[in-house]
Amino acid sequence: MSGVLANIALGIVLAWVVFALAGWVVTPGLAVGLGVVVALAMVGLARDTLVPGGLVALLAPFGVMLPALALRHMGGSLGLPVVAFGTVEMIVFLGLYVAFLAASMGVLPVDPYRLGYAPIPVGVMVLAVCFYGALTGNPFLPLVAVLGQVAWVMGWGSSNWFDYVLHVVMVPVAVIVLVQRALGG
Amino acid sequence: MGALHLGILALALVSVVVSGYAVWRDKPLEWRFSLPAAVAPVGAPVFERVFDYSVSEGVAHAPAILLEEGGARIVWFEGSAEAQPDVDIHSVELTRGPDGWQAGESAAYFTRDDLGAAMEPRQLVVTLGNVVENEAREASVYATVVSVGGWAMASVAEVEMGADGPVSARKLNLSPFLNRSHLVKSPMVGYADGSHALPAYFEMGGTHGTLVRFDEAGRVRDTRRIAGPAKMIQTMIVPLDERRAVAFLRDFDRSDRLWVSRTEDGGQSWSVAERTEMANPSAPVAAVGLGDGRIVMVANDLEGAGDLRLLASDDEGASWRVLTVVEPDAAGARYPMLRRVGDQFLLTYSHDNKRGIRAVVFNATWVAAQ
Repeated sequence: MSGVLANIALGIVLAWVVFALAGWVVTPGLAVGLGVVVALAMVGLARDTLVPGGLVALLAPFGVMLPALALRHMGGSLGLPVVAFGTVEMIVFLGLYVAFLAASMGVLPVDPYRLGYAPIPVGVMVLAVCFYGALTGNPFLPLVAVLGQVAWVMGWGSSNWFDYVLHVVMVPVAVIVLVQRALGG
Repeated sequence: MGALHLGILALALVSVVVSGYAVWRDKPLEWRFSLPAAVAPVGAPVFERVFDYSVSEGVAHAPAILLEEGGARIVWFEGSAEAQPDVDIHSVELTRGPDGWQAGESAAYFTRDDLGAAMEPRQLVVTLGNVVENEAREASVYATVVSVGGWAMASVAEVEMGADGPVSARKLNLSPFLNRSHLVKSPMVGYADGSHALPAYFEMGGTHGTLVRFDEAGRVRDTRRIAGPAKMIQTMIVPLDERRAVAFLRDFDRSDRLWVSRTEDGGQSWSVAERTEMANPSAPVAAVGLGDGRIVMVANDLEGAGDLRLLASDDEGASWRVLTVVEPDAAGARYPMLRRVGDQFLLTYSHDNKRGIRAVVFNATWVAAQ
């Protein structure tokens, strides 16, 4: 199951990359279409070649958040209703996430990543995300947190819940969005 | 309450149900070490070389011991140079018969392509490194694999072996940074309930040792750090009793000393690693407990060409005496692994600066006679 889900996530991420690049020169609808075609070709016909194999080796576990962000971005460009993240919200997230990564890598004496292996801390964190989503009126984060929890309990990927709801690619993505907003884009 | 909040409430209820199932299914980890029977000197002393292998070019390095029915298998990585994209895992079978130990023909154990094809999800494997036995499962090993970059970008993969190579493999989830920078070197540690923990180490930036615990499905269930003020890697753990153990650590920098951390709660917490007086040229050590506070260790010295010495302690590692220099006439003997095989001990290491693999067996009678 984890292999199937990884292929789906790989396809979505590939489509997202093509969409983001093509979006500079073609309409959003065409960019999404190109992304889907390239993703289907890469995952369906060329999965065992160097590029998809290397991307899986580099980026897996993809988790839920990364493909969900990709789908959200592409869906938003096609006119689907999307609640945008606030600038302050993203700055706070970025700070907390970088601190989380640093602590998990031994910079600090605490290891927050290990909480993601244990059912009770994970359950508390998922409910906290649901509460936050209710406060901000944004169902995206609760949906990702719960889907990630279901996949984690079912063993459909990583044995650590954080791997479903966070991904280091989110750091450059968040920085790019913040810079774009700062420049008025 | 609008539809949005009802939807989020529904998600929260799903989460509560899923959490309940996860808590019900979760089995608390055992934190009492398993202690093998104490080793007593029996019979004539034995100390003999049972395997000697060299490569004409390239490297053969980092041997590990996999225990098998009737003997053991030694596995190592071999290729043009360390961390190069032509490194595969090789092995030799050692069988113990009435006439002593016999070494078979060395051959490839598994290749990078074999492993990449067996990986779930399928992915590129560029090079391979240290391997240790997965003592919790038959025909299974943990391998250090690299897909991008060098050792600091390595991951640990659990590899299930079949008759013709890897049948399945998956990376352990040990780090939130692209699941990177964990390696293995030392054998697993047994617990009283039959489970095992894997000593791994994190090699990116602020290095540290990691004790990895698993659930019944073999997925990572918990990790505990073994850290100190130096760059601690290649943790070698020796249980002393049900709750206490000592961890010997290599300093990745050149403090030229061996470092030690201890636990008194079965590995749940570890003391801040302390520098010992034992010389160590930033090289991994191998050790085995003999019971009653006795430990046999194999470690490099600062003297000579980094002599690989066999040492013994009768006081849980507080003091050591040298039993012998394993390779008195050869330089570059390194990366020892030491395991108990029945009533004997099997020691393997690389020699001549990673140009080959040797193995030696000895017994407790020989240790007592030194």
